[in-house]
Amino acid sequence: MSARELILSALRQGNTATAAGEPNDAGAIAAAADALIADLSLGRPRLGEGSLPMLFERQITSPKVAASLDKAASLADVPRAVDIYLTTHGLAREIALQPEPALTAMDWSGYHLHEEVKSDTIVAVGKALWGIAETGTLVFHSGPHSPTLFDFFPLHHLVVIEASRILGYLEDYVAASMGQPVPRNVNFVTGASGTTDIEGTLVRGAHGPRFLHVILVEDS
Amino acid sequence: MTTASSAARSSAQASDPFSIPFDERIKEALDNKTLKIAIDRTTNNARDKRAAAVAAWPGFAEARTLGKSIKQHVIDHLDHYLVEFEANALRSGAKVHWASTSDEACAIVIDLCRKAGAKSVTRAKSMLGEEIGLPHALEDAGITRVETDLAEHIVQLAHDRPSHIIWPALHRTREEVAELFRANHHKPQNSDDIESMVASAREELRGRFLAADVGISGANFLIADSGAICTVTNEGNAELTTTIPRVHIVTAGIEKLVPSLSHAMVLLRLLVRSATGADLTQYTTFHCGPKRRGDRDGPEEFHIVLVDNGRTKMRNEGLADMLRCLRCGACMNHCVVFRQIGGHAYGGAYPGPMGSVMTPIFNGLEKSHDLPQACTLNGSCQEVCPVDIPLPTLLRGWREKSWREGLEPQIVRQSLGFWAFGARHPFLYHIGTRLAVRGMRLFAKGGWIRSLPLASGWTRHRDFPKPAPRTFMEEWNQQQRLKAKG
Repeated sequence: MSARELILSALRQGNTATAAGEPNDAGAIAAAADALIADLSLGRPRLGEGSLPMLFERQITSPKVAASLDKAASLADVPRAVDIYLTTHGLAREIALQPEPALTAMDWSGYHLHEEVKSDTIVAVGKALWGIAETGTLVFHSGPHSPTLFDFFPLHHLVVIEASRILGYLEDYVAASMGQPVPRNVNFVTGASGTTDIEGTLVRGAHGPRFLHVILVEDS
Repeated sequence: MTTASSAARSSAQASDPFSIPFDERIKEALDNKTLKIAIDRTTNNARDKRAAAVAAWPGFAEARTLGKSIKQHVIDHLDHYLVEFEANALRSGAKVHWASTSDEACAIVIDLCRKAGAKSVTRAKSMLGEEIGLPHALEDAGITRVETDLAEHIVQLAHDRPSHIIWPALHRTREEVAELFRANHHKPQNSDDIESMVASAREELRGRFLAADVGISGANFLIADSGAICTVTNEGNAELTTTIPRVHIVTAGIEKLVPSLSHAMVLLRLLVRSATGADLTQYTTFHCGPKRRGDRDGPEEFHIVLVDNGRTKMRNEGLADMLRCLRCGACMNHCVVFRQIGGHAYGGAYPGPMGSVMTPIFNGLEKSHDLPQACTLNGSCQEVCPVDIPLPTLLRGWREKSWREGLEPQIVRQSLGFWAFGARHPFLYHIGTRLAVRGMRLFAKGGWIRSLPLASGWTRHRDFPKPAPRTFMEEWNQQQRLKAKG
């Protein structure tokens, strides 16, 4: 017998021993699984008062997530917001720009742009697909316009997120992506890379970005 | 660093820690002056953060009950979910492999590495990988193994075994890590603050990520309705491991299944709060199939190895509750025994309460029957378990089995037999206790007994209180007599 058959037959023998009389067809199992999460509020903390962008901002800048956040009135204002960040941190106007049409369509005159992100990239600018207020999370789907390594190679990761793309709970992301093709990677990014592996002390910039900066676009 | 000569007898480095008796492993841990400091620095921090996270969520108890029900539902219908997961994973372009034993699992991984022509593989920390002995198997196959998690990197440099499932290098103080990096890194840190050390490791491992032919990870969840696997990490090393090489291999225990993404979200909240006190770790990543047409990065091949290694046996033979385990590590952070002896003394891949329940499955009860005894049954492990695993009950189950199988030492069996005889003969028992109390008082000085024959194991380290002049039963009987007289 193959390992697959061994494992499945051992499990099925166990089923008859433990769950005699219970419905065991696919439909009944799916119904039982659905019933478990029929009331989503049981499995999550309640969001505080306020609009989703406000809650998102509060969470992502809280000490727990510790990203920095700036606001831009519209997408067209993003290059200026990026410039403010670079100037504040004494960084050159040289960025890897995620090949996302909404970003590449912006006016980046005065910037030195790279289309690819490299293992020694200092600054990368990307755009998140969704934001999640509950946890202060940025969601990325890998794809031709969104290489996964953009989220992990740079030292400073600057992420554009539109206020209208901010969801409440983790489950709202599940609902929002329902029925769409699943990409190779769905990346939930909640703060800059960190480690507590030496004596439990938190240090940022372990392997991924040391700095995560969010540009919240209010009107889009 | 430990010298080569002492390494042979060190449970931190021995290739078979069970060759050293449990008593000696404990003594080694207690004699290690820095170990207790290192354990406290990390576990105190972890307990505080978990407590704060749980306090901040008034509905935590309800969510915990729900998490338990979700995992139990999956364990009850594991065959159904495995088949569903496999079908969806295949549809996404993944290759699915099945392994009944740890040897089979390692052989599958080595074979995949060879087919990929791999000289160097990067690994993102996975407890299942440790459980099945994958690090050794890769080395034996002559494949260069690069541990990329910072703690696993430290463990690899020190030739240690991991000592905690969340913080594998918890047993090393920052001073020891600084020494290791100075001896091994191309560009060691200039100063011994933790930030400089982390920066040095980042620099050291960057090139290794780029040079790897295969990346190997574990999985925190297998999502049945999409065929995706989920990793939960802080550092970003997992994504560099799973995205850059041409081949990504996942090894996962069959109990890691969840019906859907929504179910995974409930468990993620419980897992992360219980492990680190955060709401979500920095990187929660779902991997589904290989890179798609047009993708600029990602692996061309994606393999998932589903590993049984005793899990079907656990499910069918009374340890099904243990399969709910999310591997958060809260039970060990709160265990009074773990906090004294650390992880190495346990001997198995998993230490602490959950380790003491599972090690007899992986390494045999004969080698590990001491572990379920190393427990006060105070119940704090079950209290903090995010899926309410009755760890004390399961540990008691092993104690009973060990007794039935005659694995307990002769002296324990004889003493208990002697006591049981007394308990069945109350008259003799009362004579015995009367004599014992009076005998013990002869050894007392000023209310305390400093040394007592047959109890030197106790009195060597602490005094024993002088017993009352008479036994409880003597006192009770006398009072009853006085009452009767009125």
